[in-house]
Amino acid sequence: MPNIWKSGSITRRAALALGIGATASGMCRGTAFAQDDTFRFGLTPVFLSNDLELLILLQHYLSSSIGGQVELVTRRTYQEITALLVAGQLHSAWICGYPYVQFKTDLDLVAAPSWHGKPLYQSYLIAAAGRDVTEWQDLQGDIHAFSDPDSNSGSLVTRALLAENGMQPDGFFSRSFYTYGHRNVIRAVASGLAQSGSVDGYVWEVMIEIEPGLVEQTKIVRRSEWLGFPPVAAPKSFRGDPRVARLRDALISMREDAGGRKVLKLLRLDGFVATQPTLFDTIAAKVEMLRRFG
Amino acid sequence: MRLLSRIRAIPLSYRVPFLVALLMVVISAVISERVLDRLSSTQESFLDGLAGSYLDGLSASVLPAVLRGDVWEVFDALDRSQSSYAALSPIETVVTGSDGKVLAASDPTRIPTYSDLPQGYLGRYGRDPVTLDDETLTGLARRALVYQGREIGAIHAAFDVSPLYAERREILVTLLVTNSVLAGLFALGGFLLVRQMIGPMRVLENHMRAAVQGSAELIPAREFPSRDGEVTSLFLGYNKLVHAERERADLAMQLAEEEKLASLGRLASGMAHEINNPLGGLFNAIDTLKTHGATPGVRETSISLIERGLKGIRDVVEATLAIYRPERSARPLSKEDFEDVRLLMKPELRRRRQQLAWSVEWGNGGALAVKGNPVRQALLNLLLNASAATTEGGEIGLHANQTNGYLRIEITDNGPGMPTDSIAVLTTPSPGPELRAGRGLGLWMVRCMIDELGGTATVTRTPEGETSVTLILPAKWEDAHDEQSHAA
Repeated sequence: MPNIWKSGSITRRAALALGIGATASGMCRGTAFAQDDTFRFGLTPVFLSNDLELLILLQHYLSSSIGGQVELVTRRTYQEITALLVAGQLHSAWICGYPYVQFKTDLDLVAAPSWHGKPLYQSYLIAAAGRDVTEWQDLQGDIHAFSDPDSNSGSLVTRALLAENGMQPDGFFSRSFYTYGHRNVIRAVASGLAQSGSVDGYVWEVMIEIEPGLVEQTKIVRRSEWLGFPPVAAPKSFRGDPRVARLRDALISMREDAGGRKVLKLLRLDGFVATQPTLFDTIAAKVEMLRRFG
Repeated sequence: MRLLSRIRAIPLSYRVPFLVALLMVVISAVISERVLDRLSSTQESFLDGLAGSYLDGLSASVLPAVLRGDVWEVFDALDRSQSSYAALSPIETVVTGSDGKVLAASDPTRIPTYSDLPQGYLGRYGRDPVTLDDETLTGLARRALVYQGREIGAIHAAFDVSPLYAERREILVTLLVTNSVLAGLFALGGFLLVRQMIGPMRVLENHMRAAVQGSAELIPAREFPSRDGEVTSLFLGYNKLVHAERERADLAMQLAEEEKLASLGRLASGMAHEINNPLGGLFNAIDTLKTHGATPGVRETSISLIERGLKGIRDVVEATLAIYRPERSARPLSKEDFEDVRLLMKPELRRRRQQLAWSVEWGNGGALAVKGNPVRQALLNLLLNASAATTEGGEIGLHANQTNGYLRIEITDNGPGMPTDSIAVLTTPSPGPELRAGRGLGLWMVRCMIDELGGTATVTRTPEGETSVTLILPAKWEDAHDEQSHAA
């Protein structure tokens, strides 16, 4: 899931965030779930630390569109959200293509975001802006920052690239660590904590508009092929739940609603589209290749 | 000592403000030192507390991440703490793991992750919670990360303490400026105050200086301060003193006059005696002439006797005239003046049956460029004193000579010795108790003559009781054409 919203925007809206503290705590509970009739929607961890305004707008939009109480659920890692989703403790979640492929048999696709007219995005390998590197091979021996072990763009793509070339991350990079957020990968590379990083291309492109001072300290060394954008998925066990269908409708028609457009504007997305599981075949192929490579 | 003397030589109106200013400087230096010391303690305490709080917060924040070796979490905590603890101005913070290697630093480009801690980091801490480095204006602190009794890592932090030093400098400058202004104001105030206070003292001082020069004047009423009772009392006391001095001077003059009259009386008595003595012989001669005037031998003898008697009377009268005629007082001193004195002393010497040892060496026999009258009067006084001090039938002496521009006159007697107070009248700056008691005026007149001519007097006493008074008077020969006749 994209990690795009800077802490600066939080500051800008700090007063609002304080005012809606009670609402936010209600909509993003981490340990206990709401009443049974509450629709629980999972989000990748970056949301909590990035833009409360987005959370409020999204929750309002989903509540009004789906009907009834909507709870936004967040966790630190992709894995936690995926586990909750697969276990049926979430009605739906915005997850990454990599976990979707892994649990394809247990999940239904609800919708996928559309960016620049397509539900596709890329993974970038980035390095410090002033560094004299042009090829990904130049990054050998770096301390490398991954986003999340279950992130497609922040981990899988780079691992698969190395595997295609017969290498393991531990062998290619001197060291690597996870930042559990795409924005954090950019911060790690910009600050020099890591010499290179694997980051979501969509996040990098959007963040260069929002936080140019930070992002311009990095440069793109390699762009991956176009891959399926992180989708919204629901457990197959909720296939009969009408609220999931209403969620799909709400997402697909988001651009037609004023509240929805505010959400999309903050996300820098065109909207959501219905899509087929084949959109993620490329990712699935990478998973399969990686599995075979060991 | 010279410095002290110089300071003492500075007038009081400048010395007191200077001392006030100096005192202010010393006080301000002590106060400044205490303030800065206290400020320094407070700042260090404040810094310790702030650094402790920073390290506490950071420890709690990074401890789980350090346990996991989570580089990002550690860095993220450091990064967030930079803005959270802006008041502390952290410059650099480094977190190391249990192996001592860097997990994350606030500036990874300077101290990369997984590298060894730079040399000198471990040895840069003192015993205080925060060690201050005066050269780099940096505060340094280390906090061990302890989990279940084991040290699993450490935080090394450096803070910018230049604002603390700047604050100290600012306060020091403020203190210096304030204290300088205060010292200046106090000095100026002290100067004006002291000047006003010692104003009446200056009036008194001026009058006393004038009194020393011989013209003691009363302090006029307009110069009396309107309110200061002490100074008024002082002025009144001074005026009383002036009154008393004037009365004393008047009395002294009166006494001097009386002394003069007494001397004159004695001289007149001696002179009458001197005249009377030949008168008997003269009358006898006249009787003889009346009776036996026809006899040529008797007549000639009688006329010769009368002539000698009259010459003696003429000498006495001339000597007296020479001394007491004012028109002669300005005449330069000559050997004849000494002879006059000798003549004047004769009656007294004869009356007391005393001998006069006499020697006057007068060089070319001309006159000296000093007034003759005061010297004659002084010598007469000294010889009369010597005569009075010497027993009947004793001997007094006068020896004078003129050499190298100085006239040396020695008067001796073999009396019991001149009293110390009398000697003081002649030789010390103050007339002494003798004169204040109204005695010794004759000697005081001698002293006045000596002072007027710029001479000196010394008195010696032998164990046998003889007294010798020696006068040394500066005296040069008068030009020949200025010499005048002794004749009246």
